[in-house]
Amino acid sequence: MTAATPCSVQLPQTGESYVCAQGETLLQGMIKLGRRGIPVGCVNGGCGVCKVKVRQGSVAAVGAISRQHVTAEEEACGVTLACRAAPLSDVELEVIGKMQRGFFYSITCSGSAPR
Amino acid sequence: MGVMRIGHASIKVMDMAAAIKHYENVIGMKVVHTDAQGNVYLKCWDEWDKFSLILTPADSAGLNHVAYKVQHDSDLEQLKASIEAHGIKTEMLAAGALPFVGRMLKFHLPSGHEMRLFQQKELVGTDVGSTNPDPWPDGLKGAGAHWLDHCLLMCPLDPEKGINTVADNCKFMTQAMGFHLSEQAVVGPNGAIQLAAFLFCGGKPHDIAFVGAPTAGLHHVSFFLDSWADILKAGDVMAKNRVKIDVAPTRHGITRGETIYFFDPSGNRNETFAGLGYLAQPDRPVTTWTEDSLGRGIFYHQGAVTESFTTVYT
Repeated sequence: MTAATPCSVQLPQTGESYVCAQGETLLQGMIKLGRRGIPVGCVNGGCGVCKVKVRQGSVAAVGAISRQHVTAEEEACGVTLACRAAPLSDVELEVIGKMQRGFFYSITCSGSAPR
Repeated sequence: MGVMRIGHASIKVMDMAAAIKHYENVIGMKVVHTDAQGNVYLKCWDEWDKFSLILTPADSAGLNHVAYKVQHDSDLEQLKASIEAHGIKTEMLAAGALPFVGRMLKFHLPSGHEMRLFQQKELVGTDVGSTNPDPWPDGLKGAGAHWLDHCLLMCPLDPEKGINTVADNCKFMTQAMGFHLSEQAVVGPNGAIQLAAFLFCGGKPHDIAFVGAPTAGLHHVSFFLDSWADILKAGDVMAKNRVKIDVAPTRHGITRGETIYFFDPSGNRNETFAGLGYLAQPDRPVTTWTEDSLGRGIFYHQGAVTESFTTVYT
């Protein structure tokens, strides 16, 4: 299941936004921000570095995610791995993975202060 | 002491069909057995024992256990004694606990990883046989890896709390298991913290490696290729198969090996590794990499390590 049209993804933590083309995962879209600190790990749901919480909107799973990194309870609350979820609507994301520090550090150093 | 080499790795996968396709079409292994629990056993063409990789269906990725092969059955008793003298509990699993494998001595490394030792595994021969063999068989798929070469385990390290299971593992492997340290990386004031240790039991620069990390895990399992040309071809194979490459072809300062790092479909890191590097011998002076040259030690050309290489593991 994928969205019929491109979806907008908002990152309130940094004020950034990007677009996921049809069928693209949240992480594939995020990579197009083209900056350092994007949590790109195994991109196959195993390592957990791209852990996110979907604050608003809905996403569809595109593969298995490791229970070592996302529990069933967390998943029920909208937590997933950005490499394994594609947006079904416009969504708002919170980055919570273990590369979070790098994600925000890059933003701080590039001059656009986190909000 | 009689540990000869890595025997097999048992790893967790979240999508068995995708995993089999990857280890067959990219690495070039063959499925040799599927057991009643759905675990899948694979072998590389140049290995003579029945299997070297077990894929187990799971809801997470990572290592179940890694096993090493000893030369004589009596080595299992001697190693049991020396491991227990080191303060580590062991358990002898009966023959057949794993198909095609004799009794196994099971224990946990100071880092928490499960290790097993065995002496017997069904001998099936390499794909070119032992009589007037050709140098390689026809019909190889993907990278056509020769053998499972080694693994790198991420080991809990927290200098502030005085925890260094890299050093603990290194001490255990050299004192109780008869391994030898070939290379190490040291950091901190006066290089007091052993951040990485590369150990051998045969004649290659490493048969196992340990690197410090916040938590225990699997960094990679590595498959042997002959040459730099084979590494580049393996890179083409990965690109053709849309495999996520973590580190493009380059050379390690440590071990002098030529390498590609990439991920299987469950996010377990694999390596294709070429070059036997140098003759590893017990009397060879230990090579030490200091903190200022660590980047060159890990990736010799670029001299720097990408963040994902040290933070991403299963």
